[in-house]
Amino acid sequence: MASLRPGEANLGTTIMAVEFDGGVVVGADSRTTTGAYIANRVTDKLTKVHDHIYCCRSGSAADTQAVADIVKYHLDMYSSQHGEAPTVKVAASLFQEICYQNKNNLSAGIIVAGWDARDGASVYEIPLGGSIHRQTFAIGGSGSTYIYGYCDKVFRVGMTKEQCVEFVKNSVSLAMTRDGSSGGVVRLAVITKDNVERIFVPGNMLPEQYLG
Amino acid sequence: MMDFAPMHSAPAEVPVEHHSHGGWDPYVDNGGTSLAIAGKDFVIVASDARQSDGYSINSRYDPKAFTLSNQTVLATTGYAADAKRLVEVLEQNAQTYFHKHEKQMSAPAMAQMLSNTLYYKRFFPYYVFPILCGLDKEGKGAVFAYDPVGNMERVVYQAYGSASALVQPFLDNQVAGANQRGHEGGLLDRETARKIAIDAFTGATERDIYTGDWLDIFVIDQTGIHREKRELKHD
Amino acid sequence: MAPQIEPSAGFKFDNVKRNQLLGDKGYKLPTATKTGTTIVGLIYKDGLVLGADTRATAGPIVADKNCEKIHYLAPNMYCCGAGTAADTEFTTNMISSQLALHSLNTGREPRVVAAMTMLKQHLFKYHGHIGAALVLGGYDSTGPHLFTVYPHGSTDKLPYVTMGSGSLAAMSVFESRWQPGMSREEAVEMVKDAIEAGIFNDLGSGSNVDVCVITKGNVEYLRNYARPNERVEKEQSYRFRQGVTEFYAPRAARRGQDTAEMDTSA
Repeated sequence: MASLRPGEANLGTTIMAVEFDGGVVVGADSRTTTGAYIANRVTDKLTKVHDHIYCCRSGSAADTQAVADIVKYHLDMYSSQHGEAPTVKVAASLFQEICYQNKNNLSAGIIVAGWDARDGASVYEIPLGGSIHRQTFAIGGSGSTYIYGYCDKVFRVGMTKEQCVEFVKNSVSLAMTRDGSSGGVVRLAVITKDNVERIFVPGNMLPEQYLG
Repeated sequence: MMDFAPMHSAPAEVPVEHHSHGGWDPYVDNGGTSLAIAGKDFVIVASDARQSDGYSINSRYDPKAFTLSNQTVLATTGYAADAKRLVEVLEQNAQTYFHKHEKQMSAPAMAQMLSNTLYYKRFFPYYVFPILCGLDKEGKGAVFAYDPVGNMERVVYQAYGSASALVQPFLDNQVAGANQRGHEGGLLDRETARKIAIDAFTGATERDIYTGDWLDIFVIDQTGIHREKRELKHD
Repeated sequence: MAPQIEPSAGFKFDNVKRNQLLGDKGYKLPTATKTGTTIVGLIYKDGLVLGADTRATAGPIVADKNCEKIHYLAPNMYCCGAGTAADTEFTTNMISSQLALHSLNTGREPRVVAAMTMLKQHLFKYHGHIGAALVLGGYDSTGPHLFTVYPHGSTDKLPYVTMGSGSLAAMSVFESRWQPGMSREEAVEMVKDAIEAGIFNDLGSGSNVDVCVITKGNVEYLRNYARPNERVEKEQSYRFRQGVTEFYAPRAARRGQDTAEMDTSA
């Protein structure tokens, strides 16, 4: 697996996705760093690859942008040739194939999530080696290590959309305060059959928590 | 360290802090330039006052030329913290000398003491390139140039520091008349030496990124030390 | 018949390893001129402003006191370059050429996202070995756009950006003063101040301020918009008197006709 090269823009990140009945909530912090410097404090790490499929990017900014661009291209071709939207599984498989075949040259940890007519809401995690894991919720990036316990404790099967939004907002926000490579604002997207709703939580409007 | 290479060749083998990849490095090169020119009955010493580390300026005015007595000036370059410590040690020893002998140290005495002080730390040197200036017993201008471990040489003029490779050839040409066919030779008069010192620094400031901000000029003569502070470019 | 060996597809980076090995053994590669730089861009009410200092360095030496770092890409697009001077020059030139062909083919003014995509795909292909760090700005049919492009091929889209060794000094100006919907005068003044922050506080940046204002259907390239570092007059003249240069005896003298010094005073 490729490590980050000196001077490379890094998404030392907290990313997350949760399924609920009828859709998914994806979330991320907004920090991009080059060494100790914050190159972008309002990054959007939630990248649309099709109408109802998003990916959450972590690792090298260059690698994940390039991979997402390639997948987006293939999904566009897929939908215009098949006359129907690709499933989240197809999108995730494309990501997995690229990440696995180029594992020696990429540092990309990606979560793919969205809604499709066949499987409904689904979340896939593709960690560094290029494996793929279907999950009901997934967390990733350097900040995720701080919130495994919290997420396992708080997550409930069958949460509503609103509960999922709060869950993601709280989790990402907690990770951001503990992980130096995560921070800024919380960006969310709620993907359902009908639409995608983007939510923006500014740095001074984050959920209340102990900061001592 | 300098072997028996000419004094003005660039100091090469003293460790300098780049971004250290593991391993602790106690030395930093704080940049800047110093020069001295001896005349018949005076010496001119000039140092810029910018203190930097890498691409950052630590201070725009942190002088690296110090008056050690009312007859001697020490101009330094290299690692500023070591230079300041070196000056403290020299001042303490000069004070002790004064009480023991009931007289001020002469410039040649100070020069020998500096050499000894540097060599005392032969295996953990002060990372400093000193130029000591004053008047000798006959009242002639005296410039002593050193390497960091105490090799000493009396010279007519010397440039050390980040722009030494730019300034020393300029002095070779303008002070010693190098490459000037039919040059008369001899020492410079005070006003010409001062102008050359100033032009050396405005020129060095143009082309060396570590030299600039302010210029301290000292003229040492029979009447004492005369100081002048001039502005250089700040970019 | 000799067996045909198919060349494998894609780039080979074998030489990178070789060069590293040689470097470790003490065979150093020639160093490219790096432009320790301050470059910036910001979006204002009617368009965007790009800015750059004009110092080019070779290690600690100032190689060029008044170089141009704002490169032309297309009639509606300019690009500031930091990093390896040759890489920024050749990368922007190549993309500029491709954009010209692209707009000839489409019959349209090129879009900034097109230039951005071409740049990032080119740089990504070279794994960061092309040391071009860019600030890309332009005004197209969809409005003003401002991007940063990193050597590894990542991009950011922001309303105000800085790059190069002076980027921290310049960003401190933007972070404290930038606001949406500024006037042209405010924008140009702030870009000048940001570049000057780099010029005076970053040793890799210096000399003058170049500015480029891009609006709908118009570009104003203000070369040396500010010159805050004029050289002071020298204390004395350094004109050499005639005949000061050493020379070997002229041909006539060598033939034995004249061994005396030549009179060059005329």
